[in-house]
Amino acid sequence: MRPDVTHPPTVTCDSLGKTWKGGLAAVSPTDLVLHAGQTTALVGPSGCGKSTILRMVAGLETPSTGCVTIDGAPPAEILRRAGLSVAFQDPSLLPWRTVRGNIELALTLARHPVDRAAVDQLIMLVGLDGFGDTRPAELSGGMRQRAAIARALATEPRLLLLDEPFGAVDELTRQQLVQDLPRIWEARGTTTLLVTHSVTEAVMLSDRVIVLSPRPAKVVADIDIPLPRPRFPGLARTPEFVTLVDDVFAALSHGAAMADRTIAAQ
Amino acid sequence: MTAASGLAASQHNPWRTTLPGLLIVLLVWEGVGRSMGGTYLLAPPSLVLLWLGDNAGLVGRALSATLSNAAVGFVLGNLAALLLAAMALVWPASQRIVTGVALVVFCLPLVATGPILRVMFGPGNGPQIVLAALAVYYTTLIPLLVGMRAAPASWFDLVRSYGRGPLAALGYIRLMASLPYLFAGLQIAAPAAILGAMVGEFTGAERGLGVLTVRAMRSLDVEMTWALASVATFAAVAAYWGIGALTRAVLRDAPPLILAPPRDDTRRGAPLLRAITGLGGVIAAILVLWGGSIALFGLNPFFAKGPWDVAHAVFWASDAAQTRASLGVALMGTVLLLVPGYLAGLAAGAGLAVVFTLLPKLAGTMMPLAIALRSVPIVTTAPLVVLLLGRGATGTIVLVAVMVFFPTLVACLHGLRQAPGQVMDVFNSYAASPLQRLVRVQIPAMLPAFFAAARMAVPAAVLAVTVVEWLATGIGVGTLMALSASVSDYDMLWAAVVLAASLSALGYAGVGLIESRILRIYAPEQLT
Repeated sequence: MRPDVTHPPTVTCDSLGKTWKGGLAAVSPTDLVLHAGQTTALVGPSGCGKSTILRMVAGLETPSTGCVTIDGAPPAEILRRAGLSVAFQDPSLLPWRTVRGNIELALTLARHPVDRAAVDQLIMLVGLDGFGDTRPAELSGGMRQRAAIARALATEPRLLLLDEPFGAVDELTRQQLVQDLPRIWEARGTTTLLVTHSVTEAVMLSDRVIVLSPRPAKVVADIDIPLPRPRFPGLARTPEFVTLVDDVFAALSHGAAMADRTIAAQ
Repeated sequence: MTAASGLAASQHNPWRTTLPGLLIVLLVWEGVGRSMGGTYLLAPPSLVLLWLGDNAGLVGRALSATLSNAAVGFVLGNLAALLLAAMALVWPASQRIVTGVALVVFCLPLVATGPILRVMFGPGNGPQIVLAALAVYYTTLIPLLVGMRAAPASWFDLVRSYGRGPLAALGYIRLMASLPYLFAGLQIAAPAAILGAMVGEFTGAERGLGVLTVRAMRSLDVEMTWALASVATFAAVAAYWGIGALTRAVLRDAPPLILAPPRDDTRRGAPLLRAITGLGGVIAAILVLWGGSIALFGLNPFFAKGPWDVAHAVFWASDAAQTRASLGVALMGTVLLLVPGYLAGLAAGAGLAVVFTLLPKLAGTMMPLAIALRSVPIVTTAPLVVLLLGRGATGTIVLVAVMVFFPTLVACLHGLRQAPGQVMDVFNSYAASPLQRLVRVQIPAMLPAFFAAARMAVPAAVLAVTVVEWLATGIGVGTLMALSASVSDYDMLWAAVVLAASLSALGYAGVGLIESRILRIYAPEQLT
């Protein structure tokens, strides 16, 4: 079956693992399923291999063991159809293009028609109105990251991969983005993978949080987030939300303690 | 790039910043020139201008001949660089060979390739154009190769994440990312093209500044010599500034200073084995190109000697021992002039950069002048230094030192500015003295630029020493080449060319070896 880029795909990882040249294990063989149309967060300590999993799903990194299939096909297939977008940890904006130019580049690369009004709307959505003709060098780190998010959304991807997209964004803007952005991909029907180390962000944005152990990454817990959508600003103060955040934190510390015991046993 | 923008800013209005320094130089020149009247050494600027006024037509015709040859060579050389860079990009495994052969060809002493080309082309513009092209292609090729790769990996990931291949990466990323590097290369290349064209004219052209320079020297016409040198210098500086202005019109960022040679993407096997196979590949490629082009163009075997002929003359011919002895004596003579001048130039360049950093006001006045003088063609200064210091060793050593001095100064000043701002802030927060900052932060930060300059200065120093030997000194490889050319001993001429090119390439590689050891400690990011 070929991936149909008009519908959000299901992503399946079968004993997906990565060992770097030189023998450093980044990801233990892991089974994962990202359900179609859902947002799944990967949470884990820094350097645990979250981003490596994301890069393997995007087809940018070759797995050492196992494989990724997207609607039954290898990632190369959805790449070929330009059906996915990645918001990279480093905004990776081309310095010689304006914010608008960078967003339009994604459309050009994906061989989509460039719709100026739609690009303007995206720029507005990430709070960069008035900065469309500014070059990245004149923007703050957070603004650059927002431009990168806008670029990732521009091609209306059915598979959206977000690698710590809000790392440099200030707290107020981040809260705003966490409210606004999911509406876009929910409305379109998008399978989203969010890599983050912020537990509240993960709970706020996702339908499911997968907690990873320290390197090499292993799944420690798979927690459903049955909170109503659309998520609203007051949600973070509800007991349900707080309990879920506590669950994720507990799983994170459990994972860290297990890793310590493994090291001690060796 | 931010540090380089300081340099660019001082170039923005060259006249306002340079004028004080220029005036001082002119006044000193005038004063010394007047006091030395009648000694046939130094003509003051007033007399130089007078001479130029009287001979405007002659100089204008010569200048236009030289410039048009330089321009054609500039275009051809840069086209060759573009093609070579494209080849290395399309077929990465070829990069080692391409850069290795390019370096050795760049190290060929212009004064020796000149006569050979002259014999091949006969009278006309051929040698001037070829030498101008040879003088520029390397300084464009290396920045292009660096620039094509000077993009973060995530930009290429971005292109791949939309399902696009290497061609899209080339079009949307590599070409744009390499532009600042390309312009940086072109700016250095513009004066070099004029230098190449003038060396071509030295070898017996009909028209051009080089022809007049040789005539002026022969007739000991001091005013004419200084006038021609001034005109050539002015043309070179104008070319340098012209490309600089074009760069600022096209690019938003100042062009970067190129430090490390392009990294090798095809690392396989043990380092030593790689080095040996790389070197073997380069030598094999050169021998094939050398012998092949002689056969291909059907060159006259009387003057076109292949690798086999040279090997025969040096090792197996009846007079091989004598040939080897002459080459050895010449090599010793050259090395004795080259090494002191090279080291003195490096020391003076780095030393003055440090002084300028401690006295920033002085630097503001002198820097634009130094940047301009960096582009002065050596050929125009050679006759002057010979006039001033005589035909002995001192003149040659001084000239080599001058040749090495300016690029080293400019690179070291750039390097001193590379000191990381946050580390400087830490030192300032402890109220560290300027000297402490200099020794502990700025000088270590300067080392990569210093070694890059030292490496690039080797071929320049060999060029300088062979030019002066050719023109004046009477010892060394340059003289040997001049003598062999004049008595049509082409075996000896080719052997001397091989010797000078090997000296240059080995020196370059040797400095590169020291450089990579130092960079491993002080600037590991330049190596990966």
